Amino acid sequence: MIEKLKKPSAFVPLALLAVVAVIPFVLPDSQYEEAILITCFLFVIMASGWNLISGLAGYVSLGHSVYLGIGMYTGAILGKLWGVDAMWLMPLGALMAALVAMVIGFIVLRTRSHAFVIITIAVLLSFQLLAANLKPLTGGADGIVVPPPSWAFELGNTPYYYIFFVLMLLTIALSAFVMNSRLGAGLVAIRNDEGKAASIGINTTLYKVTAYTLSAIPFGAAGAVYGQYLSFVNPLGAFAILTSVYLVLAALIGGRATLWGPVIGGFIVAIANEVSTVVAGGVSARVLIMGLVLVLTVMFMPAGLLPTISNRIKRNKESKSAVKFIDQAAIAKQNDDVQIDNIIARSKSASSYAGPILEVKGIVKRFGGVTAVNNVDLTVERGSITGLIGPNGSGKTTLFNCMTGTFRPDSGQVLLDGVDITGDQVWTRAHEGLGRTFQITRLFKSMTVLDNLVAPLEKTSARQMVAGRYSGDEVDRAREVLDFMGLGQFEKQNAAALSFGQQKLVELAQILMLRPSIILLDEPASGINPTLIGKLASVIKRLNDAGTTVLIVEHNIPLVLSLCDTVHVLAAGEILLSGTPDEVRNDPQVIEAYLGPDHLLEADNV
Amino acid sequence: MQFIQILAFGLLLGGVYALLASGVTLIFGVLDVVNVAQGAFLVFSALFTWQIWDLFGFEPLLLIPLNGLLMGLLGWAIYRGMLVRVAPQGPGMTVLLMFGIALILEGILNLWFGNKFKSVTPSYYLSSFNFGDIVLPMPQLISGILAFITLGLIYAYLRFSWAGRALRASAQNKEGAALVGISQRSAASLAFAIGAATAGVGGVLLAIMYPIFPATQYDWISRLLGIVVLGGFGSIPGAITGAMILGVTEAFANTYLPQWSSLFFYGAILLILLFRPQGLMGTKTREDVVA
Repeated sequence: MIEKLKKPSAFVPLALLAVVAVIPFVLPDSQYEEAILITCFLFVIMASGWNLISGLAGYVSLGHSVYLGIGMYTGAILGKLWGVDAMWLMPLGALMAALVAMVIGFIVLRTRSHAFVIITIAVLLSFQLLAANLKPLTGGADGIVVPPPSWAFELGNTPYYYIFFVLMLLTIALSAFVMNSRLGAGLVAIRNDEGKAASIGINTTLYKVTAYTLSAIPFGAAGAVYGQYLSFVNPLGAFAILTSVYLVLAALIGGRATLWGPVIGGFIVAIANEVSTVVAGGVSARVLIMGLVLVLTVMFMPAGLLPTISNRIKRNKESKSAVKFIDQAAIAKQNDDVQIDNIIARSKSASSYAGPILEVKGIVKRFGGVTAVNNVDLTVERGSITGLIGPNGSGKTTLFNCMTGTFRPDSGQVLLDGVDITGDQVWTRAHEGLGRTFQITRLFKSMTVLDNLVAPLEKTSARQMVAGRYSGDEVDRAREVLDFMGLGQFEKQNAAALSFGQQKLVELAQILMLRPSIILLDEPASGINPTLIGKLASVIKRLNDAGTTVLIVEHNIPLVLSLCDTVHVLAAGEILLSGTPDEVRNDPQVIEAYLGPDHLLEADNV
Repeated sequence: MQFIQILAFGLLLGGVYALLASGVTLIFGVLDVVNVAQGAFLVFSALFTWQIWDLFGFEPLLLIPLNGLLMGLLGWAIYRGMLVRVAPQGPGMTVLLMFGIALILEGILNLWFGNKFKSVTPSYYLSSFNFGDIVLPMPQLISGILAFITLGLIYAYLRFSWAGRALRASAQNKEGAALVGISQRSAASLAFAIGAATAGVGGVLLAIMYPIFPATQYDWISRLLGIVVLGGFGSIPGAITGAMILGVTEAFANTYLPQWSSLFFYGAILLILLFRPQGLMGTKTREDVVA
């Protein structure tokens, strides 16, 4: 993203914007052109704002024009009350929109669900009703007539032209800032895989609510002025669903999640709308046309203009550069020369607590009538490699999920460094030093290996959210971790291009970026070839030597018994046995749990 | 007595809402698609009813099977022709597709009927049913009862037929259902057709209850989606519960504070989501093993 801005291609839009900036001076009597361009600016402002939540984070809002309406009413009501020009009320319009967005965002964006898209429509209609019914404040369905601005009549709409133009530039700048920040990277991670994003320390609720709030601000500011520009504010006009259609269409046609896509799209849609008004006439025809364009875009150019074009260029380039995907030897090599202790060591790791690093006390988890985990106590000693094995259905994964925060246990406690983390969010656990991998890898597949490694966050802070995407020492650390894992040559590849086994190693590397004090591995050896299993075992040993505690849930019993200091055996939701690998290997109960009670008899019969 | 009358009225209204919302929730459960075009389907069916009634003047309720069938076919065609192509891109894009389809339908209806309210007024339009002290408007009573009957038929179909079982299986676990031989494409087409058909039937019921014009699709869709959010996505019992809550809330609000009735409902949704983000009967799904 950063590199993109430095490329000459970024000057094309800037040059075009400069041309647009001087139009009122160059063209005399350009009232009509100015009016159309003002609509273009407004559409760009809205499409770019919408893009922050719906493009970057992937949460589609169909009622985003509500924030334009809130700005319009704020401008109209306060402008009349205080007798000031609407342009001075832009900050207040932005503030009102942001406050409403924050409240609604907090309610519907906490969990990952489809409630969001639906609530956005309901919120738009609710505000329409509110505006129509709060007569003393809003004038009801008749609306509010806004007095003209105080500037000289001869100036016409030119001041509006520059107000909206500057607002558009500010919105584009805001959008560029977010995209190049950690916040933007986190939002893209959320769009790719929200659960995974949380597990690598991204506070998904905070990120989504922040993006939603930011996305409302340009709407509120523009709305405050737009009401006076139209000289009239009423419920149906201010909270029009068609406005939402236009802005969604603008972002979609130009290209979601890109900086310039909504800009191009905003101009295209505004001009197309003007043409269709001139050619086709009334609102009915426009609704039909916009519907058709929306359907055709979704079906045939879902990525939008800009990404479609840039993908084509990229594909041509890529076919020229050869990449070695199956360099197993390089991966399997022991990278003894790479010192990892400093890269992954936890600065605050010397926690004063001397007891076990992870303790599970009396965990019970039921699904309906099934008790998957029944009153389990389990300890993971500091600095150990601990195994958790058990037949399928014994409750391993459920217990694992209770430790990582995917599930809340019905009762019982999880203690990390002696601190109760049972109720903590997934990302908080990541910040506290608990890293996990997934049985089926969950990398951000559209991102490069390096971007995947830079994504994890060791803490949540405002400073970090606004920090540049590649600021700090993350990139250097990521490269060192990749070298350690033998994955250095893949850094620029998309994660999806790697084999499943390679992806498992990348996922482990990603977790290391969190500087975890304990790593929970969910079936790390399932589905990968023996060479990589060997590599994995040596990596786990090296990490353990460097002071990291490891808990492995695994079906590959030889691997577990060869690696682990302590093994816990789970059967039917309860701990059957805890002991050294030798004790576990020879215990008849364990054999019985895995193979059933009759196998010895049958063996005798043979 | 007035209390019981309002309650009965609300439950009848809730029955109609329940029918419509169960279509949305069924489509979501099987396809993972938020069908924002359901309101447009509904208005389409209602205005079609008005057109036929206006032309020929026979009993509008006789159109129920025809409209159900027509909308079912339309739903099937939309799924096969468009949705199946867009589905791999995820719920964000399918919702935009359905939104586009809703706009197209609204645009067509606008050009066809103009932006005017159309009312179907059969002979019983203004009559009412007296049960002791309780007085219920005849159109509401008929619509409510027919909605419950249709809902019962759909429920029986899902519960007892092979295809219904296949749909329920697909709603719970798509990969698993595919593995035991349920074509996911057929299951999805069927679910979408049934979902759209509920809008076909519901459109006729609405036509005898309310005046309709094309842009009312937004009011309807936001009500229906509100019900589904409230009840919990993909849960038919949840949709029925949510619909009853909306019906009763609206009935009471309409009696005492008419202009605020929708706002009460939306307010209630936000309040409930604050404490139960998954809706009343929704469950949190397990995500850790999803590839």
